[in-house]
Amino acid sequence: MDFYKGHVLKIDMSAGTAEVEPLNMEWARLYVGGKGLMLRYLWDLTEPGMDPWSPENPLIVAPGPFAGTNVSTCSRVVLGGKSPANGTILDSYCGGSFGSVLKFAGYDLIIVQGCAAELTAVLIKDDKVSFVPAAKYAGMLTADIEAALRADFDPHMTSLSIGPAGEHKLPWACVSNDQYHKAGRGGTGALMGSKNLKAIAVAGTGRVTVGDARAFLEDIERIDTDYILTDSNYWVHEEGTPVLVDVTDGAGCQPTRNYSSGTFKGAGNINSEAFKKIRVKKRACYQCTLACRNFHRINDIEGEGPEYETIALCGSNVGVDDIAALVQFNHLCDEYGLDTISTGNVLGLAMDMTEKGIHDFGLHFGDIEAYLKIPEQLALRTGVGAELAMGSRALAAKYGHPELGMQVKGLEAPGYDPRGSFGMSIAYATSDRGACHMRSFPIGVEIVEGTMPADTLDESKAEFNVTFQNHYAFKFCGVWCDFWAIDYEQMGMLMKHLWKREVTEEEMTQVGERVWNLGRLFNLREGYSKADDVIPEAWLEKPFSDGVSAGKIIGTARFNEVLGQYYALRGWDEDGVPTEAKLTELGIDVRL
Amino acid sequence: MPHVMISSKKCTGCHMCELGCSAWHEGGFQPSRARLFADVNPTTAVIKGHSCLQTGCAKCQEACPNDAIVAREITVTPSGTFASKEKVGDSVTGIVLVVDEEKCNNCGDCYDVCPYGVIHEHPERKVAFKCDLCDGDPQCIAFCQNQYVLAVDLKVDKADRALTAKA
Repeated sequence: MDFYKGHVLKIDMSAGTAEVEPLNMEWARLYVGGKGLMLRYLWDLTEPGMDPWSPENPLIVAPGPFAGTNVSTCSRVVLGGKSPANGTILDSYCGGSFGSVLKFAGYDLIIVQGCAAELTAVLIKDDKVSFVPAAKYAGMLTADIEAALRADFDPHMTSLSIGPAGEHKLPWACVSNDQYHKAGRGGTGALMGSKNLKAIAVAGTGRVTVGDARAFLEDIERIDTDYILTDSNYWVHEEGTPVLVDVTDGAGCQPTRNYSSGTFKGAGNINSEAFKKIRVKKRACYQCTLACRNFHRINDIEGEGPEYETIALCGSNVGVDDIAALVQFNHLCDEYGLDTISTGNVLGLAMDMTEKGIHDFGLHFGDIEAYLKIPEQLALRTGVGAELAMGSRALAAKYGHPELGMQVKGLEAPGYDPRGSFGMSIAYATSDRGACHMRSFPIGVEIVEGTMPADTLDESKAEFNVTFQNHYAFKFCGVWCDFWAIDYEQMGMLMKHLWKREVTEEEMTQVGERVWNLGRLFNLREGYSKADDVIPEAWLEKPFSDGVSAGKIIGTARFNEVLGQYYALRGWDEDGVPTEAKLTELGIDVRL
Repeated sequence: MPHVMISSKKCTGCHMCELGCSAWHEGGFQPSRARLFADVNPTTAVIKGHSCLQTGCAKCQEACPNDAIVAREITVTPSGTFASKEKVGDSVTGIVLVVDEEKCNNCGDCYDVCPYGVIHEHPERKVAFKCDLCDGDPQCIAFCQNQYVLAVDLKVDKADRALTAKA
């Protein structure tokens, strides 16, 4: 079989056994791979209302069909399940090499269920799977566990591992691959930790076939030249994500001091120009020619990042413009295994509550000394970290100020304040995993390109979000990276190799829509409803007093009106539930 | 003589060279069978490129008791660009060392002497396999086209350039 390996590796942590079952090819046809395939398996593997911390909650690792070929950016994998952070769908992505190497080992999907009696590492070398006691790896930081696995298992292995944060089941613990690649959002690391699974290492010597390999190579060479290595994509190599600091700050949507402003006066100290001065090298994910990764060195720390989200949440949102401290903080989060978005968001909240006199956490905006202790305290749940570990939603509610917790559906918000980009309000409210900028990104048209106004919200924004979400839901089945601005025409060129026939935009859109609707059904099944498609009140009613977005208000009534238009455009009823007609049209075979 | 080198300094560790190499020769993407490789330590991000220097090394040829490593004339015209293109031109004619599979009896002497670890036993054919410059269009170069990187390069040393000119 070309592209797919046809094998699903099912791992039972409780029994310490692994078995291979055939990939469901009907599902592969309907859902392609990555996000879609993961969701379809997730639906079948879980009972409604399952506790996400229970052993039954599956950790599903799914690359796309192009992983293991030389299609740029497609080494990415999705890590999925039911989110331990908030109970929505969990689909968190990371680059690196795991997706490609998993295919070389012979698998399209890994499903991990159960819970080991002791901390365990799973080692996969082609068709051999072993379970080894991981007591000696307990508490290890990311660099150490990577080095230990390379030494103990295979020098050419790649792994998904957790740091101390995952072992302590921090709800936003992440999973690391190749040291610097993080499946950050939604608690993938907590899910691994809840299974007593410290690491999954894989080494593979097999091959991925694509049909006529030389014809495929010729076509990919053309696609690389015409559509990847282009002036419009090279920003990811020349700059990387820190370039967004000037963009969002200039537009008044950079989260600053717990989202109390959209403009940060220290932004010039932590923008792309500042990071270029300490950049030492560029690195790439496996099978990606773009090479977006920036390695920085300052004082005695050298490593990758921080990326934009970290700069925004762990920089401006906590009042820090000291680039050395920010690099160190990012390094600590990477080593302990923390998602930097949730970390910076929760920290900003605690600082805000301290400065407002609501509760004294001993944390103040810009206080570097306390700030640098946070990653370890959160990961080990010590000191103030023990309380902050409950997350923004619970923490803000506990002290009677839910309005200060900048989250949606319990997931802490990333680095774009909707007051500077109104379309983001609908993007956040309707995102399937809570506050997320990776499902729809109106920033692109409202700020970067300026083709839609940033300060209006109407049906055109509802339509934009629907279109973008379908596009990205399909893209994440691929699994193409966000940094390749790939359109349907280009995805079609690659899908033609996969399906051995012309593939239309309508077909791809429909897969995306199918995936989006299945995600919606899952969230509805797990208790989410229209009442949860809300965003923090401040974003709707409390205008900024400074910056270019000062004085601008979305308004709750306007937001609700456009949300209703969004439901209608989706073919959902007024409660946001997909209609029978829509599900039938999309060929979705499950029902609430 | 023409040969391919990976600049350890410029390489970003994407492994596209290995992927292109293996697909062109083996009919599928299989880096474990690539004829050159980049050794990447993900933690330190230190990279070491390994590739065949052809006649510039020739230790395999010297070690072979069966004269199975043979010199063959080749014209290398890489598709796309590469770092030293201005220096060596669009096309280079010279000698490449290839395995004569009729003569090779898989004794392994060459595997032991190769300083770069780029000649091995082919798992199916049970003979040695090594870089043959893809009949003149090295796929490793074709898939290292990021203009800011261009780590996989076509090299010809000075002495060889003089020889080529003389011929």
